Amino acid sequence: MASAASRGALSHLRQALATLDKVKGFSLVEEDTLALGLPEVDAALGGGLACAALHELAPVAPAQFGATAGFALALAALRTAGGSSALYIQTDFAALEAGALYGPGLDCFGVPMERLILLRVPRPVDALWACEEAMKSRGVAVVIAELPEAGEAADFTATRRLTLAARAGGGLGLLLRHRPLPIATAATTRWQVAAAPSTPDRFGGLGRTAFDLSLNRNRSGRCGRFIVHWDHHERAFLPQALSVGVAAAADDGSVDPRPFAHAG
Amino acid sequence: MTDRLIRGRSPTPADTAHAGGSRFAQSDAPLVVVEPVKGALRLAGLNDAADGLGLRFGMALADARAMYPRIAVADADPDADRRMLVAIADWCDRYTPLVGLDSPDGLLLDISGCAHLFGGEEALRRDIVVRLAQQGFQARAAVADTVGCAWAVARYADDNVIRGRATSSPPPAKGRSRPSSTGYAGEGQGGGMRSRREQAHPLPTPLPQTGEGAERARGTLLVPSDRTREVLLPLPLAALRIAPETIADLTQVGLKRIADVIDRPRAPLAARFGEAFVHRIDQAVGRVDEPITPRLPVPPYVTERRFADPIALEADVLGTIDHLARELVKLMERRGEGARFIEVALFRADGKVHRIVAGTGAPLRDAARIRALFVERLAAVGDEYDPGFGYDVVRLGALATERCDPAQTGLAVSDHSAAELTHLIDRLGARFGLRRVTRLVPQDTHIPEFAVTAVAAATCRTMPANASLELRSIAPQRPLPRLRGRDREGACIMGGASSPPPQPSPVNGGGSRPSLRQRRSVPASIEQDSLSPVRPIRLFERPEPIEAIAAVPDGPPVQFTWRRMRYVVTHAEGPERIAMEWWRDAHGHALARDYFRVESREGVRVWLYRQGFFNDLTLPTWFLHGVFA
Repeated sequence: MASAASRGALSHLRQALATLDKVKGFSLVEEDTLALGLPEVDAALGGGLACAALHELAPVAPAQFGATAGFALALAALRTAGGSSALYIQTDFAALEAGALYGPGLDCFGVPMERLILLRVPRPVDALWACEEAMKSRGVAVVIAELPEAGEAADFTATRRLTLAARAGGGLGLLLRHRPLPIATAATTRWQVAAAPSTPDRFGGLGRTAFDLSLNRNRSGRCGRFIVHWDHHERAFLPQALSVGVAAAADDGSVDPRPFAHAG
Repeated sequence: MTDRLIRGRSPTPADTAHAGGSRFAQSDAPLVVVEPVKGALRLAGLNDAADGLGLRFGMALADARAMYPRIAVADADPDADRRMLVAIADWCDRYTPLVGLDSPDGLLLDISGCAHLFGGEEALRRDIVVRLAQQGFQARAAVADTVGCAWAVARYADDNVIRGRATSSPPPAKGRSRPSSTGYAGEGQGGGMRSRREQAHPLPTPLPQTGEGAERARGTLLVPSDRTREVLLPLPLAALRIAPETIADLTQVGLKRIADVIDRPRAPLAARFGEAFVHRIDQAVGRVDEPITPRLPVPPYVTERRFADPIALEADVLGTIDHLARELVKLMERRGEGARFIEVALFRADGKVHRIVAGTGAPLRDAARIRALFVERLAAVGDEYDPGFGYDVVRLGALATERCDPAQTGLAVSDHSAAELTHLIDRLGARFGLRRVTRLVPQDTHIPEFAVTAVAAATCRTMPANASLELRSIAPQRPLPRLRGRDREGACIMGGASSPPPQPSPVNGGGSRPSLRQRRSVPASIEQDSLSPVRPIRLFERPEPIEAIAAVPDGPPVQFTWRRMRYVVTHAEGPERIAMEWWRDAHGHALARDYFRVESREGVRVWLYRQGFFNDLTLPTWFLHGVFA
């Protein structure tokens, strides 16, 4: 059994190694992690999403960018629960293509709009620069950068810079692409996000927001695929929607008397 | 418009046009500048060569051509002249922050408290004239107690009129300063200021225009404090800045010089020639104060550094800014203020002045952060500014300041990160423009597009989270308009709208003023009924037209096509009717949208709306407005 002194020495050595080992993609120091509250996901991530690191998110299909942004914002909601701020960086083209963030919707979703600072930049490289600066600063807890298309500007070198910046500032960096980039990057984890069909309530309305997450790359553990639900009232992930009533409205075979019409 | 000062030196007639014949013409060919006056082209400027030929201002071009058929002619360009004057005024900023324009061809500088920095008033005056001469401008400059006197002497006095005691030491100028850096206190100028007027263009005067401008600088035009009146006496009445008609009237009755009118009873003069005439006399002799209106705001705090050898490297400029920032911080500290707007003025050796402004979100009094701001600004605008031969004066001024009490640094992390956040916003703003860094502020309207507005984060003071939540919870809820029952069974209508109908902005809507009456724009009753969020996280600036198949007349869509993809709707909530506040469509119907939250088979959740109804007159059109998570 190690004495307290030797444990201290061990910790000191780890620190020293970590400073030497900046070029490598991992660190021996116990890192601050963001637990999602889902045992399965947290186990795969080794306790939770590493905070002083960069994570990449991309939609499975182009139409799923809503879900991708939603998952990133849900993570931001968890991270900023203590009252810290988040920065959302978007290029002009990304905002045109996928829509701008909508304040009332953010409020509904669990990210109070007062916690969010938005930055619009003209070019993807500007977004990367701003992301790096923001992650170095301790002013914001989460930095989300959204790049249009596959975000080719964020290649291996750029993501390496961002990772180092994240480690220096301790901020959580989330890089959103509109399409997955096929080449390797230095991000700690890479996710592909899609919306999962929600479990409807007993009146047939929409259920809680559900995500179909594919963890495609993970430096600290195994990959996997998870269906998670987001409770925007409680600001917490739920493993599986609780059954909230009967399965579906009974179909008595009667035909809806109303006709359908096609309109453009 | 490129660099006027550089172009001014080029000898082509087209380029010399804007400054009249005022420069030392490199070419000796006579050149005149003409402008149309009352239907005839008349001479508005001429160079020394043309002057030597006996041509005069105001002469008709036809007469001049009759005398010298080969004379070169250029058109006057008053706009370019004005831009040139402004550029020179910018350059004169190196002498004093109080530079006023005296259009069309003069500048007024308040040099109170500045003269000793240049070795006295005469040295300063000479410096200006010589430096302008080097840039190619022929200028006359006079220093006097009053604006009127300086104006008169610069334009009408004989060069040697003020001999005698001119070399005696000038009266002490007010103001406090140090040789290398000056702290302008910013209090208003009192009476008895010494003003200097310099003139960059030739005069339509009967003065003997002999010799070169550089020669002229040798004659002194420095009016000692006690000789204002004496100097004015022999000058013609035109030196009083009065209308030509008044001069003509006065000449008719035999009054030609200032000496003729200055001691006359005021009441008859005012009655016959107007109050303005008497006022001008008073201004000239200093009985009435005449402030100079500075062209640029005078910064409350200024520090500057001058270089014998101009600097051009970015690192040098930043290093200088760093030094200046420390001095500026010391100045501001004395009064407990911090800067909200900071300007760096870079005076290029050839006369061009570059000004770079950076704004801050909170009063700033930290030299390192000021430097960091300009690192970003220079990175953002650096390519636009060509250092050329280098900058010989660098000035750092705080344009706007606010009270900034020293805050006690807490041990809590939150204090620290709040300051870090402010600094981050400033830096991002310096790089991309403050308007690009925004916060969302809810607005008091239920129309989705206007329910929130982006306000520059630097100007938006964050409300404490608790306070805003309280405000929201007590905010009144706006009842939703009831859905009108529709008994008509609509026919199948095919619509092909390509864009949503124009949505007029509300008069005050979308405004930049953050309303304190913040409230939630989503009625709580709707939110309670749904397990999912009722507003999308992303909203398109323009709703995207889609094709949809829906139950007639008011059912949710069962299928829709968006961006060439077909989606089958499995769940839908709605309609939620959102009516426009007061505007109507072309037929006088209230514009209303029925919004649906729908989920497709794949799980894509979007916010759709139907515009219009199924009836004979209007075609319903479907739009996709936002995307849920």
